[in-house]
Amino acid sequence: MAERMEISIAGDGSMRRPGRLNLRHILSSEHPLPWLFPVTAVLIAFGVYPLLYALWLSLHKRNPVTRLSVFDPDWNWVKILGDERVWNAIGNTYLYTGIAIFVELVLGLAIALLLDSDRKGYGVLRALMTLPLVVPPAVTGMMFLLMLDGSFGVLSRTLYALGLWSPAYPILATSSTALFGILLADIWQWTPFMVLIMMAGLRALPKEPFEAAAIDGASATQAFFRLTLPMLSRIIALAVLIRGVDLFRIYDYIKVMTEGGPGTATETLTAYAGTIYFKNADFPYASTIALLTLILLLITSAMFIKIFKVRF
Amino acid sequence: MGFKQYDKQTFIADSAAAFASRRITKREFLRRMGLAGIGFSAFSMAMLGNTRPFRNPGLVSRANAALPDDQVKFLKEVGGQFKGARIRYTSEATPPTVVLNQIKNEFTDLTGIEVEVEIVPLEQVLAKATQDVQGQLGTYDLYYLDQSWVATFAPDCVDPVELYNSNPDLAMPGFDWDDFSEPLVEGLARYNGKLVGVPFDIPIFVLMYRKDLLEKHGIAVPTNYEEFTKAAHAIYDAEKANGVFGTGLQAKSGHYSLECDWTQAVWGHGGSIFRPDKTFAGNDEQGIKGLEWYQDLLTVAPPNSTAATWDGQFQMMQSGQVALVQSWDEFFPGLDADDSKVKGLWEPAKPLQSSVGLRSVSEAGFGEIPNLGHQGGSIMGLSAYSKNQEAAWIFMQWACSKEIMTQCTLAGGFAPMRESSFADERVKAKAKVMPGTTRHLDIVKWTIDNVMASEPDMPLWAGLSTNEIPTELGKLLTGQAYGGSAKACMDAVAKIVDSKVKEAEL
Repeated sequence: MAERMEISIAGDGSMRRPGRLNLRHILSSEHPLPWLFPVTAVLIAFGVYPLLYALWLSLHKRNPVTRLSVFDPDWNWVKILGDERVWNAIGNTYLYTGIAIFVELVLGLAIALLLDSDRKGYGVLRALMTLPLVVPPAVTGMMFLLMLDGSFGVLSRTLYALGLWSPAYPILATSSTALFGILLADIWQWTPFMVLIMMAGLRALPKEPFEAAAIDGASATQAFFRLTLPMLSRIIALAVLIRGVDLFRIYDYIKVMTEGGPGTATETLTAYAGTIYFKNADFPYASTIALLTLILLLITSAMFIKIFKVRF
Repeated sequence: MGFKQYDKQTFIADSAAAFASRRITKREFLRRMGLAGIGFSAFSMAMLGNTRPFRNPGLVSRANAALPDDQVKFLKEVGGQFKGARIRYTSEATPPTVVLNQIKNEFTDLTGIEVEVEIVPLEQVLAKATQDVQGQLGTYDLYYLDQSWVATFAPDCVDPVELYNSNPDLAMPGFDWDDFSEPLVEGLARYNGKLVGVPFDIPIFVLMYRKDLLEKHGIAVPTNYEEFTKAAHAIYDAEKANGVFGTGLQAKSGHYSLECDWTQAVWGHGGSIFRPDKTFAGNDEQGIKGLEWYQDLLTVAPPNSTAATWDGQFQMMQSGQVALVQSWDEFFPGLDADDSKVKGLWEPAKPLQSSVGLRSVSEAGFGEIPNLGHQGGSIMGLSAYSKNQEAAWIFMQWACSKEIMTQCTLAGGFAPMRESSFADERVKAKAKVMPGTTRHLDIVKWTIDNVMASEPDMPLWAGLSTNEIPTELGKLLTGQAYGGSAKACMDAVAKIVDSKVKEAEL
């Protein structure tokens, strides 16, 4: 090994001086290290370092008067346990994630079944379905903020006109309904994502079992529950996992539409961390909330993978 | 309020309108469109809301034109020494900042110093400034400091008068410190004897009313809280079928605007935020009465008030939705704008009197000044960590000079910081119904000179006033908690505030 370090022979057979980088040698090397290095460096710089820094910050107590942070490893973690807004935010995060996943999954699967056809025009419909995905979430939030405005929003006014809602309770300014207002934006934008995944799953299913079922006289409903759903289960589990991770970190819609309000009715963990960071400038505590979000996300994801036997 | 009208609040529409009316350059328009189209992150999106309802009626034409010769010479000769330097200023979209951003090139023309004005939402200004001073980075040379943050940033800013006197080579001739309104200097810029910056913006609460509606129903202009309440209820009862409400509020949960409304209500009912022993006083008898009065007002305000900040409140006024409002004087020039549905129908009046008397300064805590006119002013602070401090100091003097400050007022109709600007004939000539009117400034000056109120000066106030207090108030007003009990809400706020004050060992 030591000998190899001192003298090496380049690919063309010429002698190479030790200690000098040879690009041709690196590019022709079969050793994984040169190929892993760039991506590892990026991962460390943009993934591991911020995480470790956040962890380091969370072990400090910030004095708002002197603005000095002193090492006090328990402070923020004890504080977080007694912070009612954190518990409320955890509840809101799970509620938001659960409802959004359920509705987007059901709608996504239903729309995918409707669009799973090779008839003329369906390709265009499938393409149109993806349009909401290209709108930036903050813009979607603004669109729904305007549509749900208590005074002139088109959705609000339609509900008033149909007698389904009272103008006295603007959807986004009423604590019991604000979260559902935000969910509307999320569902509108991300259901197409579920449609795409389900469509890919449906298209990959073998035809033979369905043909056999049809010959045996199975109805469409029976074929769906006995064949389609079981065969799609892996795809569904994966879609739920991917979308769930995304939903758990929801920030854009809340920031734009309610800023966590009214009161704390729509305050999720990330929204609360943002508030503590931007308004109170308590960077260590905001980092602690962000880390708590990560921990909960890891635990929830691990449980989901185990329970539903998700395989990658 | 029509959709089109509201839509004009949005960033793209506003930018397009500004470009069409030549208020912004093509380059600036393209930059904004780029921001809108490509980088519409939640942060840039946040710029769409919570900005101040300022309608600049037009560009200032050659602001330097009337600058005294000795000041022009100073800028060319002394400022010219720093040619090529680039200074950065971060601010909320306050009216003077918006105008300053438009005319900054005139400063560059004279001195060669480049100026970058970064306009972001209020909370981002706070976060950026906090990070800058935390690391003593000097990323920003000048800070916009809301009056509620002055105590927090006092150690990080250079005392401008001290600098002016100690460095005569960089002192602008004829700057005239005594010309600044004394209440503004004391109420906004001074903390523990130190001048933290120069007063730069002074929105202040005054009463505004629709004279046509009051005349129609034979109601006299209210002078105190009881009369205001009666008038608001009477107009609501009479006009609700027409979609007109008694008043409009800026009661968005978790927003500083709600805290400002609440503070005004507490002071007006004889209360204060803190006691001399530094404990929270909002849960005493007067504080509760103030909050209960505010809860009552919500019943005669548009339901959307609980989702509105100052911007929404202004829209309620400009669209003819409300009849009486006690709020920021800065709304006034926009109410006379050409696109206002109520042009010339709003009138300004003195802030409402307290029927039970005001709490004295000695009975309050943390330098709080309970009074009738809540001020939400700001100052321009020179960073102690600036790497271009001399260049920034010269810009600061230019921006705060008599002529430039007067030009800013002429462009937007908002209240100036200097006595000479109030008395300026050009400013007085605009005291009529017209876009960017100054016809409210007599009332504003009276309010500043006689009944200006200030929130506490304490390092925690920036967080308490934008997070904890308005969030708990929001829970109460929107029915999330406290079962409608003002007392329960204020007791909860007291618990939070007192524990934070104790924790900070203030």
